[in-house]
Amino acid sequence: MNAVGYRLGAAALLAPAVLIAVLAFLVPLARLLGLSFSARAGPFAAYAQLLGDDIYARVFANTFVIALVVTVVALVIAFPVAFALTRLSRTWRGVVFACVLLPLWISVLVRTFSWMLLLERNGPINRFVVASGLAPEPLSLLFNHTAVLIGMVHVLLPYAVLPIYAALVRIDPGLLRASEGLGASGLTTFRRVLLPLSLSGVATAATFTFLLALGFFVTPALLGGASSLTLSMLIDGFVSDRLDWPLAAAASVVLLTAALAVVVVAGRFISVGAIAKGHP
Amino acid sequence: MMSRLALNGFVALVAAFLVLPILAIVPAAFSAQSFIRLPPETWSLRWWGAFFHDPSWRLTLFTSLKVATLTTLFAVIAGTAAALGIARSGPRGRALLTGLFLGPVVTPAIVLAVALYSMARATGLVGTATALVIAHTMLALPFVVLNVGVSLDGLDRRLLLAAAGLGAGSLHVFRTVTLPLIAPGVVGGAVFAFVTSFDEVVLSIFLAGPTVKTLPVRIWEEIRLEYTPVVAVGATVMLVLALSAAGAHRLLTRKAR
Repeated sequence: MNAVGYRLGAAALLAPAVLIAVLAFLVPLARLLGLSFSARAGPFAAYAQLLGDDIYARVFANTFVIALVVTVVALVIAFPVAFALTRLSRTWRGVVFACVLLPLWISVLVRTFSWMLLLERNGPINRFVVASGLAPEPLSLLFNHTAVLIGMVHVLLPYAVLPIYAALVRIDPGLLRASEGLGASGLTTFRRVLLPLSLSGVATAATFTFLLALGFFVTPALLGGASSLTLSMLIDGFVSDRLDWPLAAAASVVLLTAALAVVVVAGRFISVGAIAKGHP
Repeated sequence: MMSRLALNGFVALVAAFLVLPILAIVPAAFSAQSFIRLPPETWSLRWWGAFFHDPSWRLTLFTSLKVATLTTLFAVIAGTAAALGIARSGPRGRALLTGLFLGPVVTPAIVLAVALYSMARATGLVGTATALVIAHTMLALPFVVLNVGVSLDGLDRRLLLAAAGLGAGSLHVFRTVTLPLIAPGVVGGAVFAFVTSFDEVVLSIFLAGPTVKTLPVRIWEEIRLEYTPVVAVGATVMLVLALSAAGAHRLLTRKAR
């Protein structure tokens, strides 16, 4: 096969997938961008309304803070787990890996629903709390920030563990032994040897977790309700309740821009290939 | 070492935290009452009967399976071809294409949902299986491309050269050398595609209609009203399917070693 045939063959092979990606991904997003400038009051009216209103500002802040807290908590839990995974025997490593990977197969809806059942007023957690005397009456564990945080950390934890593990597994254990052999305490070895070497994995984990957390819809909608509005829930409201397309499109563009910003900033520290391979 | 014990204890707790809460939906599906109580006071199969005898619930399950099957078919064909095409491309093309195919992964689902819903309204495709299949295929494509791509990366090119050198035409080489060697990647991608479609919630919520609705969409709608344990039955069905897929993936991608 000559070079031209090779190239044509590549183009033919790529055609169906590229067509789907263009028609079902790029074109709709481009249309959405156009829609955001189509408000009757003027091309920038939707953005002005969105970015000028105090209520919306609070929703942006809430979305950002939740994503940040979830990311930090997930990383703090994920790092020791990933580290332990590098040291476990093959059987136990398999078991823990299965526990980390299994939730990823299950729909976020099912995972969130299970938390609704556990956290509700008459749910098993509250019944235990009241029966054991830990609190005089059931705690309000659902439809607030706490529930959203618990649910989101639960869903996102696997995404935090995998990239950190991938980075830790590449570190030569001899370096850690050398550090301790030279008299460094466990904390010092962690701080000055382990952490710097695992930074790319931590950065990938942080990026992916934060990115997903920013755009989460199902979990905050079901576990937080009206008391923890996120930008994604706002967008849903604009479309489903108000049928205000320019506003919904503008809010979507804002969310997408935030996501792109995260990817671009993180891209300076890690490669796309690393994220891709960390994703199941 | 004490700290090793503490670390392993912590990991055990986290592993339990990851897996056990999800199982809460299972006993809920066996409640005898019309409200959910964990654990149930009396156990019954009543709501399982309700789920499988109710035509509307059955229809959502069937729609989910139908859409997932079609999605898998299209995603595997297009995705495998794309992975082969990417392997033939130069580095710049490769980067561009990877970016294009990974786009849906980094884009928030709600943004994709709103964008596709708007287009579906403009083309009269809201509430059709077509819209759902197109949307799910777009979402599943990255997984297939990635999976097959990884398989291709591991392929020894000399095998292809050897086959060609022995006189085999390019199609023959593909059929007898490439395809068997990338089979685990293709099968793995197929399983991911199926589960991605079956589990998908956000885009499906917007693209669904009164008669064309997937199981997750029906569960989502019911949860926001007064719900009975039949919702837990639906969720358990989804859980069983997801676990079966995970098992199937493990089995099917282990074979060719």
